Amino acid sequence: MEHAIKVTGLRKVFGNHTAIEDISFDVKPGEIFGLLGPSGSGKTTTIKILTGELGQSAGEVSVLDTNAGSFGTADFKSRIGILSDNSSLYERLTVYDNLKLFCKLYDAPLDRIDVMLEEVNLKEARSKVVSKLSKGMKQRVLLAKALIHQPELVFLDEPTSALDPGNAAHIQRGLQKLNEAGTTIFITTHDMEEATELCDRVAFLNNGKIQELGSPDALRYKYSTHAFHVETFNGEWLVIENKTENADKIRDLIASGQVKAIHSDNPTLGQIFLKVTGKELV
Amino acid sequence: MNTQRIGAIFEKDLKDFMKNMMLLTMPIIPIILSLIYSRLGGDEGLPVPMLYLIVGVAFSSVTASSMMTMMAEENEKKTLRGLMMSPASFMDIIIGKSLVVGLMTLIALTLSLLFIGIEPFLKIQVIIGLVLLFLFFLFLGIGIGLFTKSVAATSAYLMPVMFLFGFTPMMGFLGLEEDSIVIKIADLFPLMQLINMHETESWMSMGVVAIWTLAAAIFTYICFKKERTDD
Ligand SMILES: Nc1ncnc2c1ncn2[C@@H]1O[C@H](COP(=O)(O)OP(=O)(O)OP(=O)(O)O)[C@@H](O)[C@H]1O
Ligand SMILES: [Mg+2]
Repeated sequence: MEHAIKVTGLRKVFGNHTAIEDISFDVKPGEIFGLLGPSGSGKTTTIKILTGELGQSAGEVSVLDTNAGSFGTADFKSRIGILSDNSSLYERLTVYDNLKLFCKLYDAPLDRIDVMLEEVNLKEARSKVVSKLSKGMKQRVLLAKALIHQPELVFLDEPTSALDPGNAAHIQRGLQKLNEAGTTIFITTHDMEEATELCDRVAFLNNGKIQELGSPDALRYKYSTHAFHVETFNGEWLVIENKTENADKIRDLIASGQVKAIHSDNPTLGQIFLKVTGKELV
Repeated sequence: MNTQRIGAIFEKDLKDFMKNMMLLTMPIIPIILSLIYSRLGGDEGLPVPMLYLIVGVAFSSVTASSMMTMMAEENEKKTLRGLMMSPASFMDIIIGKSLVVGLMTLIALTLSLLFIGIEPFLKIQVIIGLVLLFLFFLFLGIGIGLFTKSVAATSAYLMPVMFLFGFTPMMGFLGLEEDSIVIKIADLFPLMQLINMHETESWMSMGVVAIWTLAAAIFTYICFKKERTDD
């Protein structure tokens, strides 16, 4: 399989509102791909189209070598996992019974329930009724549900948005582990640090178009001013451009013993996003 | 269709039903009504229309009502999405739910009929008629459940279903003229046709009920198609 996801010229129109104008990208097998964009930019809509919940208005979509026409088949559905932005659980049932339902629907062995509860740090909530759980706990049960059948590819729509930093970090480590074991991950997030940490590549979605795409490191390098910020012991900040003729200048500074630290000027993904789209990523 | 998935939906919906006070109180209605009626009957038993009124109450307040409530809740709480995105087909989901509703109806109806005397119903023709009528109410429940987006909204649809199709024999108690247009139309309704069949053993009436059931099935299909096509 060359691509886990391939999208060409995708367009989605709701009535007279164009949610996605024209986007193309591909996701390689084994990759963690992040779709970043402000509220209303079409992240959820993209996931819905890639999972067959919505049809596209134009363009080609292929997921796991399957064309959009076959997204409804049981075989395709059992190969992907989905954590959607407002999915929910059966409130009157226990965590265990909720997961048991999906185990059976996906034909996964029941011992996956405890494996997943362990993964999302919820072993103690196993027999709790869902209505008694906190929002973050529910979110973690939903994540367990999305991964219960060991899909090849998972779509995660803001998986950590309801979580406290501790649990978010725990889930991020879990996702990294999952990815190391071979699962392809397609994730949307508002959290730039999360995207920088987790994603092999990110795409910036704005006004229905992809405005930038690449690995976080490559993007940070691309938008860097390529200067060094030299911090001295007397509190001064010197900006020195990364040019061969400046080598002696930096050498002399270090030799004089004044240099406290040298920083690169790579912007954060959030800063790049602001620069590219003119919008804060909130 | 897949029996394991149908079984999974059945198990989930049965557990959910047993924990849902709103659904759980519905089967009690026909049972209490039949308890009250059984006191009225005296030695020669209740008149046939009264017996069928219990049947109508059971089918409308248990079959149609719990089906539309269960489906509306899946819509409202967005859980239906999770099911639809899983390998379960829409048929698996509907059949799993229908089995739960069928079981609950069977329990409520059997208990109710035991109080008012079940013997008149133990005839093959009558049982076939009851099954057709059950399917009629089940289809109505599924159809309405497909387009209602919240549990609260179902009551607006449940009322006409109850009064038109569940309480039809009440028309006879309104004191209208035998040949008034209202009575004539009401006589064509499925429950009245079953009463007629019970009294005359006419297969013709069964045919009319079958047509009603078919119409309800078409109604469900139209609701299904409509729901599928709008985003
Ligand atoms: N079913 C729908 N009908 C009409 N318009 C829709 C529908 N779904 C989404 N939209 C519109 O499409 C645009 C993109 O919405 P989408 O939910 O994909 O954004 P998003 O990037 O996921 O936002 P958020 O970060 O808030 O979740 C929005 O303008 C939204 O109003
Ligand atoms: Mg969204």
